[in-house]
Amino acid sequence: MSSQTISAISSSTVMPRESEASRTQPALLKRVTAWPGVTTAIALIGTVLLWEAAARLLSIPTYLLPPPSAILGSFSSIGFERWAGHIGATLRVALFGYALSIVIAIPLAVVMMRSPLLSRTLYPLLVVVQSTPVVAIAPIIIVVLGAGDAPRVVITCLITFFPLVVSTATGLAATPPELIELSRSLRASGLREITQIRLPFAVPYIFSALKISITLAVIGAVVAEFCASEAGVGYFIQLSTSLFKLPQAWAGLFVLAAMSLLLFQIVVWAQKLLFPWSLPKNH
Amino acid sequence: MSRNKLALYAFAATLSAGAASAADKVIFQLDWLPGGDKAPIYVCIQEGFCSQAGLEVEIASGRGSTDAISRLAAASSDVGVSDIGALMAARANEGVKVTAVMSLFNKGPHAFYVAKGGSITSVADVKGKTIATSPFTSSNVYLPLVLKDAGIDMADIKLIKADPGALGPMLMTGNADGIIAWMTDLTRYSNQGKEAGKEIVALPWSAAGLELYSASLIASDKFLAERPQVAARFVAAYRKSVEFAKENPQKAAAAVTATVPELGSEDVEGSLKDTLPLIFNEVTEKDGLGVFEAARLAETWRRVSEAQDIDPAKLDPETIVNRTFAATE
Amino acid sequence: MAMPALRFDRLGQVFETRSGRTEALRDVSFDVARHEFVSILGPSGCGKSTLLRMIAGLLTPTSGSVEVFGLPVTAPRDDIGIVFQKPTLLPWATVEDNVVFPARHKTGRVTAEERQRAGELLDMVGLSGFEKRLPDELSGGMQQRVGIARALLMDPDILLMDEPFSALDALTREVMGFDLLRIFSERPKTVVFITHSVSEAALLSDRVLVMTGRPGSILTEVNVPVTRPRGPETAKDKAIHELSDHLRDLLLNRHAA
Repeated sequence: MSSQTISAISSSTVMPRESEASRTQPALLKRVTAWPGVTTAIALIGTVLLWEAAARLLSIPTYLLPPPSAILGSFSSIGFERWAGHIGATLRVALFGYALSIVIAIPLAVVMMRSPLLSRTLYPLLVVVQSTPVVAIAPIIIVVLGAGDAPRVVITCLITFFPLVVSTATGLAATPPELIELSRSLRASGLREITQIRLPFAVPYIFSALKISITLAVIGAVVAEFCASEAGVGYFIQLSTSLFKLPQAWAGLFVLAAMSLLLFQIVVWAQKLLFPWSLPKNH
Repeated sequence: MSRNKLALYAFAATLSAGAASAADKVIFQLDWLPGGDKAPIYVCIQEGFCSQAGLEVEIASGRGSTDAISRLAAASSDVGVSDIGALMAARANEGVKVTAVMSLFNKGPHAFYVAKGGSITSVADVKGKTIATSPFTSSNVYLPLVLKDAGIDMADIKLIKADPGALGPMLMTGNADGIIAWMTDLTRYSNQGKEAGKEIVALPWSAAGLELYSASLIASDKFLAERPQVAARFVAAYRKSVEFAKENPQKAAAAVTATVPELGSEDVEGSLKDTLPLIFNEVTEKDGLGVFEAARLAETWRRVSEAQDIDPAKLDPETIVNRTFAATE
Repeated sequence: MAMPALRFDRLGQVFETRSGRTEALRDVSFDVARHEFVSILGPSGCGKSTLLRMIAGLLTPTSGSVEVFGLPVTAPRDDIGIVFQKPTLLPWATVEDNVVFPARHKTGRVTAEERQRAGELLDMVGLSGFEKRLPDELSGGMQQRVGIARALLMDPDILLMDEPFSALDALTREVMGFDLLRIFSERPKTVVFITHSVSEAALLSDRVLVMTGRPGSILTEVNVPVTRPRGPETAKDKAIHELSDHLRDLLLNRHAA
């Protein structure tokens, strides 16, 4: 098209020519730092080294801030099997809670979008639920739902579902009005309007909430484990702090951070893989 | 229920257990996370006392006395350990269906921890000092009493509440002149003190005249009513485990770490050794292990009701204990 | 005389809003013959889009009536297609899937015949070879061509176009106009074309209705005295230029008054 040609011409003329020498060196640096996670890894390693040095030189007591070497030591002293058990337990609760909240939040958002009355009624309730500290009601949930994963899954769900409902509802309402008119002019069913137009258009909104919620899911699982559990990384951290085993507790924290990062990245990948069109255009 | 009848149950049950019938499942409720102070139940499992009694025991960790009591009241657990003061308050206020069946600590575990060479050498010295405590420990309930006994008003001390994990560091760094913690943590705090180059001293409140039953074996009333023979067998096996832990603290500690390796054997053994004097002491020599002596029980209720501001007439402490189960041995 | 494709009879539309009562249209009456191309020219806010929505059956008039082939409009009809101001394509669907979307949306499935027709329509709007592209990979003009193909999928007799080229640059806009002339000479349609470009109205239409705003009503109507077929040469026609000037004067005078 004509407009493309024009912009192509203008961009090539505006770009200044760089000399050969100044181009090769930064280009390599640029290429290396462009790899995903490289800069993060460098920053992380730097922090750890600085931390270790500070802990040794300033002889900070372990109970205040354990050096990374001590934390690393406690990783190996626990043993792979125990770690796998704790990580598995937390993952199970986080993912089930996350899935449950998706299964509840998205249909709820659809229903609220369809019915302004329901929306007016439910929104304040949702805000109340969201602003209730889950820790305060956790004992009730645990006594009612008993042993097993159920109470922890419910606690995780409570923590994760609010952003999902709000974002999905916003996304469903952000559909271009022309497409809704098109749908009406075709006399299509309300269900198809939801599934073929509104929900797909809400995908970017849903995914931004999914990214927030997956990290909340890990927090939710940990909070739940603080309240009642016999396994899990949160339980492990609680157990370790109660025994003043600070390096061990920090090891747990690192595992949690790694879990959150990984799960977050999986959601990012899922969006890239399943809905590439929904990503913001940055070129 | 008569003693003979129970003994008969226990006997019959031992026979049937021997006859390779399926073991009775019992859920044991801790009032906190696993640790050396909870060693007996791990001994019961690891040393086989529980299985010999035909019991298959599952351990559920708890998050404080209230949590443990409410789970027993809801019968999601069968039997467990908790502070008897908390049970008394819960019985007086809520009428929970939970009964104490055997005493464990016949002294309160509560204590002030201070750095040696500091300005505090006795309970009376805390006047005007900064004391740190954790928000939910039952010790807070008894603090006004122990202060009152020493002639100190609550307003005379500066009380800071902090996470249990922060108390040690606060004491070591001098942010607090003293902290409130249990005698069961003596080894841990001493080790932490060593790392900071300080010697830590515990000032137990029992030494200041606070005479209490504390941690006790308590059970869901449903469990006691529906499976009395299982309960009797359990109490007997548990009692055996407590005695075993006294004679073989190292083996007992190993039993804990075999189940919960995260704990580390040194800490567990330290904690267990700190705990044993609360179970075995001059009171035990006089009254015997696991006994609820009426006068001490009444004194416990007097203190609890005073500390929690409950009308003492609201509860007859005798109604919260059932001595028949511990007595079948 | 044959039955008109569209008949507007003393049409009025009043919106009750929180800020009060707004009269969008008053006493609008005109006919559109079958396969006639009528432009509605007017300043923004004169109720042009409201008019279009009432034909489409998306809005019920508060007074008067709209008739399509002699029947009052009470609901959306199958024989009307709409092209919007913005292409509003589905960003996740390929160009071809966007064109067949009305079929999928209405019936839940797409027949082979409809796919074939989509291919033909894309060919007609100059997009053959782009079937599997995503809208995002297309320029604004190309996207609007997909929008036109989409509106033509069900082969409607009436096509409603709501300022379809207003978001495009001047050059693209002109090219699109010529393409439209070619498309409608191949497939004659009854077209109601809303625009605020006088030259576009003059070039494309058989008749131009000039509207005034608040409340919207028809100021006058002008026949375009140029025969079909028309093409790029027509744009240079003196008659078109004179008509454009006349229309511009009408709008400006009215505006000044």
